[in-house]
Amino acid sequence: MPGRTAGAGVVAPSLLAIGLIGMAVMTAGAAADIELGRYLASECMACHRAQTSASAIPNLTTIPREHFVTVIKAYRRKELPNPAMQNVAGRLSDEEIESLALYFSTTKQP
Amino acid sequence: MTELTRRRFGILTGASFAAASTPLFAPHVLGQGKPKLVVIGGGAGGGTLARYVAKDSNGAVDVTLIEPQKNFTTCFFSNLYVGGLRSFKSITHDYDKVKKSGVKVIHAAAMAIDRDKKQVVLAGGQRITYDRLAVAPGIDLKFDSVHGYSEAAAELMPHAWKPGKQTELLVKKLNALKDGDTIVMIAPPNPYRCPPGPYERASMFAHVLKTKGHKKSRIIILDVKPNFSKQALFMEGWEKHYPGMIEWQDPNMHGGIKSVNPKTGEIVTDLGSYKAALANVIPAQMAGKIARDAGLADASGFCPIDPDNMKSKMDPNVFVVGDASIAGDMPKSAFSANSQAKVAAMIVRSELTSSRAFPARYNNTCWSLIAPDDDVKVGGAYEPGEGKIKASSTFVSQKAESSELRKQNYQESVDWYNGIVADIFG
Repeated sequence: MPGRTAGAGVVAPSLLAIGLIGMAVMTAGAAADIELGRYLASECMACHRAQTSASAIPNLTTIPREHFVTVIKAYRRKELPNPAMQNVAGRLSDEEIESLALYFSTTKQP
Repeated sequence: MTELTRRRFGILTGASFAAASTPLFAPHVLGQGKPKLVVIGGGAGGGTLARYVAKDSNGAVDVTLIEPQKNFTTCFFSNLYVGGLRSFKSITHDYDKVKKSGVKVIHAAAMAIDRDKKQVVLAGGQRITYDRLAVAPGIDLKFDSVHGYSEAAAELMPHAWKPGKQTELLVKKLNALKDGDTIVMIAPPNPYRCPPGPYERASMFAHVLKTKGHKKSRIIILDVKPNFSKQALFMEGWEKHYPGMIEWQDPNMHGGIKSVNPKTGEIVTDLGSYKAALANVIPAQMAGKIARDAGLADASGFCPIDPDNMKSKMDPNVFVVGDASIAGDMPKSAFSANSQAKVAAMIVRSELTSSRAFPARYNNTCWSLIAPDDDVKVGGAYEPGEGKIKASSTFVSQKAESSELRKQNYQESVDWYNGIVADIFG
């Protein structure tokens, strides 16, 4: 959602266009586990069910896999500001982030 | 199980011992046909749990949800209805999509749990057998925690802490107020549903009075606690948006709440008395009756659970999620209930279908609206630790944040509401 990303800092593809892309596209060696991803994704689904582009919280199934990984890692490093997302990302390992990315990229509607 | 319940069903220790000694992770002992999950309560905890087990087991588990109401009004966001910012309809949801997701929904009251026979008894006597049971009845109110208050008194002094007609009654009384009238709120002791809720409600009262042009009306909050959730943020917001309108009193200020008189609107404290044109009495709380009757609660009135899986500490075949549970550091909120339900659903599936189980993780965020577009939030990540659900990290909004950030918080909360009701009700 344009205009919302800098302050709220929710996962927002538009951020990727302003410098984060390319920082950590995929993590070598972190195995993705789709079952683990499905379980972890259930935590996301309390909020991330947006159906329109006007939503402040994006639908994760529409975000490209590598972008998802990049943004979640940015939250984990607290380089993006939303504390709710920093909280979620802060305890995710590389494997868990890859598992989430795999799950969302292969799921139409969790 | 309580002694009373045991006598009612006439099932004694032999069967209990046999049930307790059954291996926990043994789908093969469940008998013929699909394994059965029964869920009592179709709110944030129960609705989520039922839907997730049905959805993720792809029909391998027979899921039955027992919920007496055909239309469920959410307690979360009901303060926005109080504030005139949402319609009652927008916070009311049916179970049509839950049914379509493969959950059998029975609109009846669950009257008792026969834990020895692993059956739920419905009003009318029908028994529903389960392999695993999830209990999510929410809260009951301890009406007698406030002297002079009662269920009947709530028709005159609404609590509106269980949503529906009570919420509508509260709004009707709010809208009838004249300038100069006094609202008195009695805030409950911990633990209770939605810790910032009473203070968000006071904010919404003030917003309505301000919008109506009231200059002399006052809102007095008589609290039994020395402090409350997001206190600094609310205090700052009240001063900013409603200067002089809201007065919060801790026990040192009022000296103790002595009594309420629903007929006269009088509320007496140790150090004074108030005549309320609108009294909003939110009493102490406990787990829903069916959980307490089934012996799932301890002396606190709430239900102890295993933080690894949300199982009742009283019965390994029973899960308790949501406000009825003792969830350690997690607040009683819809977000918490939804999060706990997902852990329980994952464990239920693993036990009934041998799917994989993963370590429990919980999460919560609570948004509170102080004034339109001025929204604050608090939250945390939680995991099992030290024998409870323990906060691993927390956050809270800061004072003097930009109006842009507060507005974004509000939009976030609206998106969360849309998301979580889709998660619960489909």
